Amino acid sequence: MTEPKPLQEPIHYVHVDKKICNGCVLCMKACPTKAIRVKEGREVQIDDAKCIDCGECMRICPRNAISAVMGTNEKEGPVSKDLFNAVSASTALYAQFETGILPNDILLGLKRMGFNYVHDQTYTNEMFNVAIELFIKEHREKDDTFFPLISPICPVVVRLIAHRFPSLLKNIPPLITPREIVARESKQRLVTRYGCREEDIKVVHITPCPSKMICIKEPIFQERSYLDEAVAISSIYETLKKNIQNVDEDIVLHHAGGIGLGWGMSGGEIAGLDLNCLSISGLQETIRYLEKVEMGILSHIDYIEFRTCDVGCLGGPYTVADKYQARHNLRKLIRMFGEEKRVKYEYVKKLYDKGWFHGADPILPTNSPFKRSSLSDISAAIEKQNEVQQILECLPRKECGACGSPDCQTFAEDVVAGKATVDGCILRGSMA
Amino acid sequence: MYVVWNQGYINLEPMANNMTNLKRQFEIKARDFVRAGEASIEVQSILKKIGFDADCVRRVAVCAYEAEMNVVMHGGDGMLVLTVEPRKIVLDFKDEGPGIENVELALQEGYSTATSEYREMGFGAGMGLPNIKKNADSLEIHSDKGKGTQLKISITVREVS
Repeated sequence: MTEPKPLQEPIHYVHVDKKICNGCVLCMKACPTKAIRVKEGREVQIDDAKCIDCGECMRICPRNAISAVMGTNEKEGPVSKDLFNAVSASTALYAQFETGILPNDILLGLKRMGFNYVHDQTYTNEMFNVAIELFIKEHREKDDTFFPLISPICPVVVRLIAHRFPSLLKNIPPLITPREIVARESKQRLVTRYGCREEDIKVVHITPCPSKMICIKEPIFQERSYLDEAVAISSIYETLKKNIQNVDEDIVLHHAGGIGLGWGMSGGEIAGLDLNCLSISGLQETIRYLEKVEMGILSHIDYIEFRTCDVGCLGGPYTVADKYQARHNLRKLIRMFGEEKRVKYEYVKKLYDKGWFHGADPILPTNSPFKRSSLSDISAAIEKQNEVQQILECLPRKECGACGSPDCQTFAEDVVAGKATVDGCILRGSMA
Repeated sequence: MYVVWNQGYINLEPMANNMTNLKRQFEIKARDFVRAGEASIEVQSILKKIGFDADCVRRVAVCAYEAEMNVVMHGGDGMLVLTVEPRKIVLDFKDEGPGIENVELALQEGYSTATSEYREMGFGAGMGLPNIKKNADSLEIHSDKGKGTQLKISITVREVS
């Protein structure tokens, strides 16, 4: 086994194969942050500053010209002999196998792949549920935070909020996500057990989506991520499957009940919450409901679980099983383990009071819309919007995308920003 | 009836013509619940593009939405004029509805004249105008029974200390 390469620039993982792309406008139109342009009818350009790695363009491309490229995609096993390795897997992994393969078998299979330490995330999920309940109770009493709170679990949602709904960053509780807690605790345990240095430990997260890699590189609520690397479920699936066969060890690595297991599907996270909650999945629905939250309509709701993939993480681009099949598998597992939490409330409360779950204040990217603009900046921006409006009034509003911008409004903005010329609109003359 | 309510740190002087500003007009259709809220979303999107800070955008969004829903539910057809200045945002709502019978009452939390139909849709908690009052810096209401309602909401950009 070879040592995995550390993740390197570029931070975004979406790549367009120019040999396959024929320059249609579907990805450009699907992009929720309008990060894509198709210039000269051929070349797809993605604006790194706007891309949130949601994967919509990958899903919609009829030619499969867009893919996500990762550091260890081609490697057989992401394990190095020189370092201490720990692994934590998204609960979506458990749903990728046919009936009869239990979470514990999968965890043992991971161990056999060569990881020194395997930490099951489902138990931490249940602990996180309790932490959220405590957080909401505390802040409903004090009346000092904005409701509804928004789940910090889906990194695309967090980045979508950071880009398009910055006022809602306040609604994301500053708690460390289970995958990060697992990584932190894994490191601590390996340090105690082997006396090694924390720097020598590599914690790998097995993920259903590319966005996890970005939040490892650029976490918003932590100074740095405790995770070191993310590996796609699809890239280790075959190896893992081989390692699961004939497992006859009887070590118990999976401790949680059905609640912790269900997180991979939409509604799974809030199933463990005894509160007024909503679960919303799919990118368009997520945007629609974030707009509602921003207008203060849903403040009677305590907590909203947003997942930008349909069906939740099971619908992630790096899964292997069909998402509906996977959901059925997961539901069977949940029934088997019982729809209950196995964590002890008092135990979690003690940890919560000690600050076990609390992360740092949000660390915001420097080029982000959070900072307050100066008076002259705002004045200039108002002038610009007026110019945009003037150009827009001359456009035919067919929203065809032939100019290379996703819609007329964005085209007008591109013109004002100097990134396009009005001549780029092929319908303008014929309408006059 | 004419009610002015002011947080205290905003002047209600008419805006100077020579100052950079942006004006947009939106139509609001009575009882059109499919498109209800679209004007507010548009306002929100314009402010974000200009680069107003998140808190300011949120306050405008809440005010715009509450007032827009009031027009959709009670007001008959109406109009929103948005005026954006570098340090102040004004939302001017005008409708041809029945007017507010008692503005003082309507400003109280929990007071509502919504029909049971609207309550079933999740509206009518009596938080519309109180919510606007909470988020705006000043509020002017002109309303007479049978003559419609005019609502002018101003939000200033708060300086951070």
